[in-house]
Amino acid sequence: METQARLDNLQWSLATVVFIIVSSIALGFLVQFLARLRGLSKAEQRKLFWGVTFAGPWIVGFFIFVLGPALASLYYSFTDYQIGDSINWIGVENYRNLLSGEGRVGRNFNKAMLNSFYYAVIGVPLQITAALIMAMLLNNEIKGIRIFRMIFYMPVILAGGPAILLAWRYMLGSNGGFVNESMRKMAGFFFVFDYIYRGFIFVVEALNGFYTGIVHEDPVGPLKYTIPAAIAALLFLSLVRGEWGEGKRLLAWRGAQILGIIVFYSLLAQGLIAEPVDPSWIYVVGIVALGMIVLLARQGKREVRYVQWGALVGLVVIALAALNHVEFEFTSVAFTRYLIPLALVATAVGGSLIATWDRHLIQIITATIVILSVILFVRLIPGQLDDGRLNVFTEYLTFGSTLDTTTDQDYLEKVYPVASMSPFWIYGLVIAVLIGVALLDETYARARRYLATGALIFFALFAIGSFLDARTYFKAFEEIATAAGKPVYHFALFRQAIAAFPGSDRVPLWMNSELWSKPSAILITMWSSGAGMLIFLAALKGVPQSMYEAAEVDGATASQRFFKITLPMISPAMFYNIVIGVIAALQTFEIVYILQTPLTRDSLQSAAFLLYTRTFSELHIGEGAAMSWILVVIILTLTVLQFRFSRSWVHYEA
Amino acid sequence: MATQATMMDMTNTQNTRHTMAHVRKILLYAALIGASLFFLFPLAWMVGTSLKTIEEVGRSQLNLLPADPQWTNYDKLFSDDSFYRAYFNSIFIVSLVLLGTVTSVSLVAFSFSRLEWKGRGLVFAAMMSTLMIPYQATLVPQYVMFHQLHWIRTFNPITIPGFFAGGASLIFLLRQFMMGLPKELDEAAMIDGANPLQIWWYIIMPLSRPAVATISVFLFVGTWNNLMMPLIYLQKPALYTMPVYVAQKLNLQETPLPWQDVMAASVSFVVPVLVVFIFTQRYFIEGISTTGTKG
Repeated sequence: METQARLDNLQWSLATVVFIIVSSIALGFLVQFLARLRGLSKAEQRKLFWGVTFAGPWIVGFFIFVLGPALASLYYSFTDYQIGDSINWIGVENYRNLLSGEGRVGRNFNKAMLNSFYYAVIGVPLQITAALIMAMLLNNEIKGIRIFRMIFYMPVILAGGPAILLAWRYMLGSNGGFVNESMRKMAGFFFVFDYIYRGFIFVVEALNGFYTGIVHEDPVGPLKYTIPAAIAALLFLSLVRGEWGEGKRLLAWRGAQILGIIVFYSLLAQGLIAEPVDPSWIYVVGIVALGMIVLLARQGKREVRYVQWGALVGLVVIALAALNHVEFEFTSVAFTRYLIPLALVATAVGGSLIATWDRHLIQIITATIVILSVILFVRLIPGQLDDGRLNVFTEYLTFGSTLDTTTDQDYLEKVYPVASMSPFWIYGLVIAVLIGVALLDETYARARRYLATGALIFFALFAIGSFLDARTYFKAFEEIATAAGKPVYHFALFRQAIAAFPGSDRVPLWMNSELWSKPSAILITMWSSGAGMLIFLAALKGVPQSMYEAAEVDGATASQRFFKITLPMISPAMFYNIVIGVIAALQTFEIVYILQTPLTRDSLQSAAFLLYTRTFSELHIGEGAAMSWILVVIILTLTVLQFRFSRSWVHYEA
Repeated sequence: MATQATMMDMTNTQNTRHTMAHVRKILLYAALIGASLFFLFPLAWMVGTSLKTIEEVGRSQLNLLPADPQWTNYDKLFSDDSFYRAYFNSIFIVSLVLLGTVTSVSLVAFSFSRLEWKGRGLVFAAMMSTLMIPYQATLVPQYVMFHQLHWIRTFNPITIPGFFAGGASLIFLLRQFMMGLPKELDEAAMIDGANPLQIWWYIIMPLSRPAVATISVFLFVGTWNNLMMPLIYLQKPALYTMPVYVAQKLNLQETPLPWQDVMAASVSFVVPVLVVFIFTQRYFIEGISTTGTKG
């Protein structure tokens, strides 16, 4: 039977070879013919024929295996196609299901994306550190170094296949597996090792317990404001501290850009999910986009085009989403709530796109920004006071609580605080201030400092206030839940881990627990980080020895030499490894496939693994195609972003 | 007197320098050997386990080496028909993929490096930009395409795409190497009346042997290890390749888990890759230093 299959395959291979030869030559003749029509010389035509014929296999393959399928999959992603079923156009339904995070598919996708995020944020830095240490060990001219290099690289060859992953799975067995047994022996051998062992277990369990809490969407209450506010406070702290220079301005600008991109994508996703978008958002988008446009245009940057088009696309999405929800009557109040800001912003953005840049245009756009800000501010006060949104601000800034325990008991679970304010409001505020800071030049140095300091105080207070309220909230939640006999599932694993410290009965459970499954995968990727090591090694060899000698003469310590010479000199290699590492984190497949158990499959799975199960086990082609396109957009965005931001910290030799 | 004192000082510092260098070297070797043990250990553990009895495997223990090597574990594996089937399937697929891909990639790389034609830069840029496209973009629709061709549960989806010069990074690697060969070679051959096909086969290919070896070893390891494609397309035990066979060896329903059998299969899976790697490791290292990718 398999012999028959092999023979069939040989026949097909032969047919393929014939097909490739014929089509390549045909392509060559076609191009030659076109060249003759365009009046190229005989010799040129000949060259074209040979060149295209030789490149033919790739060109033909590109159309059959890349371009055609890519277009087809774009089409499938808008259909409900399942193998063996008819194809129906369902619009953005697949995307909506995946991005909304609701339903089985959405929840799974959400989890897989959060896992990938974990791998990228925690796994990749660990992997890169391991690779760098290995490379620095190998960057010595001593006997036998080539053999060591071979040994260090070998895991990469093995880790691509299932065999060594199975060996790891066996070694990581929680009950009597080699890794745990040897760690326990070491801990019993010397008390310092014991402390290290328990500390390691505690850190991993606490970290993963917290992460699991977030992934399981435990009610986080006011904590959802604490984290962005704290990050914003840190950002402004670094802006306020020390001398103000071009670097600070760049930091403010980059921060605004990154947040802008996050907000833009969230809006896009919201638009696709077609939840009714709060019209206030249109004002925020307008202010942010117009601010960016003015800033970029004043510097004569070409990126202004991206912002302009991006803002227009965002507006169209919001408009469509609004039309989806608001009764389509031109006279209705609901509709005008959207229409006015949409028209304002669209006119300003569109005008900036068409008109030539001069002082008048800048003045007009600035005036529009002011008008939008005023309307937004006015909207915020009377419109939102009743449902308590502004209340959140005033309460947190004075360390008060917005908690209302008088209402029914399920209330806390469902909505908190009294009127839930989207944490994206914080991003909007941060972006606005950052742009303001970046816009103010030396003439207004004092205003700039006041603005940044004010923002620092504001967000620091806000973070502390919301954190204090979060504690009140958790306590109240616990009381209500115990009274009602319901489980308190608030970060339960995290709290267990904290409570268990420094108990001696905890062992690493590796693939058998959600707390340890991701760390086991990261351990294996660290073990096989030899490819990154080789990149670092090549970069380290390129650092001129004379620089170290000069630094040594000047009395630089070893750590100074590392941070001031080595790291900057190898930053291109570092950059490359980060890009590749993050993309690989999204695409992890083999490790998940081999390590997963029924218990840890959800907590291990990467986006690529989910794509595999959904498409090829459950045969939902349409959903799989939509998933793959979301992945493609994320990967491409990450790559482009990393290339753009690399300029500020990667030093290429002149 | 004073000079004598400084002289003694100097020899002293030289001595301390010398011992410092020694200590540093010893520490360095200790670190290198320690790290090597960490990297080699899973492999050693795999081999050790494959020779244990099931009782030994079930017990919690730290013994790397079996008390009494059980070669019968391998006898059992080698008497299994499906093992041979998987092994030959793998060898068959790898040979076809190597043959098809290396030939087509070298033709395309030859065109991109040695032939001058209008629009070459543009086509080359298009090829390089496919490096940016993640494989997920085409995975799903390719499945649909192969399904419509009735190619699911055949070897075709795994071997055929290779014939179309699959792998932009391989083309790039080979093209970089061919760019470095002296231009006079082709010109001399052209004057002698050779056509591009002859130049490719008689002049460029023999000179490009190191680069062809590099892409071959990358391809070999990549194809031999590949688990995802066979899982998607083969779906039938008779067609399984070694990676799928090894992965299926672990049947979670069995208690205690027969790890010694799983590891014996794993060892026989890993041996070809290891042998190839040990003998060709300089190609791997050169390949990564040239392109930065691992294939």
